[in-house]
Amino acid sequence: MHIPDAFMPIWQGAIYWIVALVFVALALRWAKNELTEEKIPMVAVLAAAVFALMSFNLPVSMGTSGHLIGAALVAIVLGSPFAAVFILTLVLIVQGVLFGDGGITTMGANIINMGVIGGFVGYYAFHGLMPITKNLGIAAFPAAWLACFIPAEVCAVELYLAGTFPLQEGLIAMGVYHALIGIIEGAITVLALRLILNVRPDLMDEKVKGAKGVSTCG
Amino acid sequence: MDERNRKFLVAGILIALAISILAVFFASSDPDGLDSTALIVSGQKSLTAPATSDAVKVEAPGHFSYSSPMQDYTLGQNWGPLGGIIAMVIGTILTFVIGIGLVYLIRKQRISKKQTT
Repeated sequence: MHIPDAFMPIWQGAIYWIVALVFVALALRWAKNELTEEKIPMVAVLAAAVFALMSFNLPVSMGTSGHLIGAALVAIVLGSPFAAVFILTLVLIVQGVLFGDGGITTMGANIINMGVIGGFVGYYAFHGLMPITKNLGIAAFPAAWLACFIPAEVCAVELYLAGTFPLQEGLIAMGVYHALIGIIEGAITVLALRLILNVRPDLMDEKVKGAKGVSTCG
Repeated sequence: MDERNRKFLVAGILIALAISILAVFFASSDPDGLDSTALIVSGQKSLTAPATSDAVKVEAPGHFSYSSPMQDYTLGQNWGPLGGIIAMVIGTILTFVIGIGLVYLIRKQRISKKQTT
């Protein structure tokens, strides 16, 4: 759901940019205060993996494809929604500037949708579901699904305000497609979490490891 | 950085590179959710059926426009799949290098601040 420049007037893009920069500043503060030396390899590997997975579109039927966003995964592994803002901003800058995937004037909106909303929804949905379900997969799958679906619906509203999509049609189509794309998001998020817990449980956020019902052997 | 972390870094970047190269060959070329929605609202696609073969990209005039050096993760038609691989490898490694560089810079700044106070 990378909004291209052509879908939004410049002045609206500027407003989203200002809001996005506030969150980027907070994400930089998070990196300064919370990133310990042990987490550096995980940050770099997640950034590269999210970039690669974001370009891997998988078909979701109805002539449509979708790919991972990765905000929920990053926020859960590194233990903060600001980690998702940090990494997704980096990935979106590379994608937009080098590959024309997502616009320049719309990058602020894309950072808000995928990084901020995706990160916060994924993180808090996961930690809200974890004590109830007591199962990593059952908590992470719907959290990641929501971290794909909700940004898509917000994106539909933004493009309604931009005069590009009619509200109802946009909400329905974006909702239907991203309900399916969210299944990809959920599945890859759960797989990646299990993989990390298997190979390097020490690099996983303490709050995930400390939760009941999570064994380090996945 | 200890040996285990170095191994994790190398394994991680290799997995990311493998995914990015596989994507060149196996990723679906169907429009993504947002592009599909744009095709629907411009009357070129129905919700459940693929877009018509003559579907054109939705472009609105009067907006900012920018040409990226490796548009759509390719180096242009002359390069074929090799161009796609080069573009994806550059993107993956660049994201990795900027990520690790940025984190080191931020941490260095924190450490130097601590020393002055």
